[in-house]
Amino acid sequence: MSGIRFDAVRRIYGHEGRGIVTLDGVDLAIADREFVAIVGPSGCGKTTCLRMVAGFDRPTSGSVKVDDVVVGGPSPERAVVFQQFALFPWKNVFDNIAFGLRNKGVAEAERRERIAHYIKLMGLAGYETAFPHQLSGGMQQRVAIARAYALDPVVLLMDEPFGALDAQTRVVMQEELVRLSRVNPRTVLFITHGVEEAIYLADRVAIMTRRPGRIKEIVNVKPIRTSENWDQHAKIEDVMDLPSFVHLRTHIWKSLREEKGVEGA
Amino acid sequence: MSRRSLIGLATVGALLVLWYVLTMVTGTINTGRFPSPDDVWVAAGQIVAKGYANGRLHIHILHSLKLVAMGFLFAISVGVPLGLLMGWSRRAEALINPIFLVIRPIPPLAWIPLAILWLGLGDAAKIMVIFFAAFVPAVINTYTGVRNIATPIIEAARMLGTPRLALVSEVLVPAAMPSIFTGLRLALQASWTTLVAAELVGAVAGLGRILNVAQQDLYPGMILFAMIWVAILGWSTTKLLAIAEQRALPWVQVRG
Ligand SMILES: Nc1ncnc2c1ncn2[C@@H]1O[C@H](COP(=O)(O)OP(=O)(O)OP(=O)(O)O)[C@@H](O)[C@H]1O
Ligand SMILES: [Mg+2]
Repeated sequence: MSGIRFDAVRRIYGHEGRGIVTLDGVDLAIADREFVAIVGPSGCGKTTCLRMVAGFDRPTSGSVKVDDVVVGGPSPERAVVFQQFALFPWKNVFDNIAFGLRNKGVAEAERRERIAHYIKLMGLAGYETAFPHQLSGGMQQRVAIARAYALDPVVLLMDEPFGALDAQTRVVMQEELVRLSRVNPRTVLFITHGVEEAIYLADRVAIMTRRPGRIKEIVNVKPIRTSENWDQHAKIEDVMDLPSFVHLRTHIWKSLREEKGVEGA
Repeated sequence: MSRRSLIGLATVGALLVLWYVLTMVTGTINTGRFPSPDDVWVAAGQIVAKGYANGRLHIHILHSLKLVAMGFLFAISVGVPLGLLMGWSRRAEALINPIFLVIRPIPPLAWIPLAILWLGLGDAAKIMVIFFAAFVPAVINTYTGVRNIATPIIEAARMLGTPRLALVSEVLVPAAMPSIFTGLRLALQASWTTLVAAELVGAVAGLGRILNVAQQDLYPGMILFAMIWVAILGWSTTKLLAIAEQRALPWVQVRG
């Protein structure tokens, strides 16, 4: 059991009273092995939510729990794919992925096997000894994803993980993530600006308001995915053409647009 | 050879020719004040073969090298760990930084009288002065190197469950390494500057000793010859450090 629970989470940066209220009462419960995507306007506090689950930040009030325990600090059980990759520039691709596994005490043979598996999966074969600065942004992002997957964490926290990828690679990664999460489901908190990506990947899509952020609405995708049999289509573009998909997309877009409208006013 | 080094070589060559012409052909420069290439050549022959100021050239060179090496190595082996500690621990920083604020504005050469008072005119005093000169840049650059590590790097390390020891050896030190090397380079330069100054004040051997004696002897050829050797040693030790840096940091993106 490794669900995530936000209870009345408030986060104020700066001094209480004069500070900036970033999150104002976030309530969200993510079940064990559930895939939840968060969408919302830029600056609404999505990354902040994720950082609290990761253990890098704490709520000013309210609580963030994983597995019914208040998050105390970071752990390899809650792997993060950072918005800015955060690879170690002095380690090559192989060592970047290996580092967390060594810390965890994964035996050498298994370590090699797992790393080889994810290097292949992410299309990084042949780049094992390359340093991050020798890779394109998209490739660095794939290394960051491989590093998180290889940890085999119970909770996966992904902050716009496909943002730096080109359209084709992004699609490959999205389909791969779907495949992975069907084969080996785990609890995923996924932040994105892509409404389609959110619907395609997630069991539920949480929409946030503009700052101060709250969860405005939660769209339950999974029942529709199951009843409309989305998974029988291997390709994302086929799923995106389905009327049920288009309907959800329009709904979420409208909801987001209301937020943008208020922000611009 | 690269285009850059060819241009560099051409510049140096042109300066040498100019030097030769102004001193030995036109006589524009009075060789009593600034030596001709010939004077330097004579001085070189004398000190290499017979010796000058208590010893032959290699004795002086080895003596100076030894002092620089000891002062520099002593300074960085204390300075770099101290910088790491200050960079990592707020408490260590709070404790040690005030000492630095006091020491830092004192020019290294201002330590010479105190060093001589404590340790006499021997090698120990010179090593101490070099130590003070090299220590400050070593500490400061290591410290800022650790301080400036990007937050996501530290967070990634924590997320990956890095144990304390590995956090220092596999994350903090490599991340700060480019800055540490900057510190080492400044420390080395400071070591040479300070060495020559300390030897000028009083020494039994060394390049500064040659300079000092040659000045009293009104011997410009020998003065310039010793200066050239200070430059050669400073340049080659800096070059060695640069090679070590390239070896140690294959992951740093080189500019240009
Ligand atoms: N450490 C901090 N100190 C002060 N303010 C912060 C800090 N971190 C975040 N904020 C503020 O909190 C708000 C939300 O930031 P956050 O990064 O969570 O937004 P986001 O939803 O992830 O945006 P984006 O979609 O652009 O990534 C922003 O207004 C930001 O300025
Ligand atoms: Mg963000």
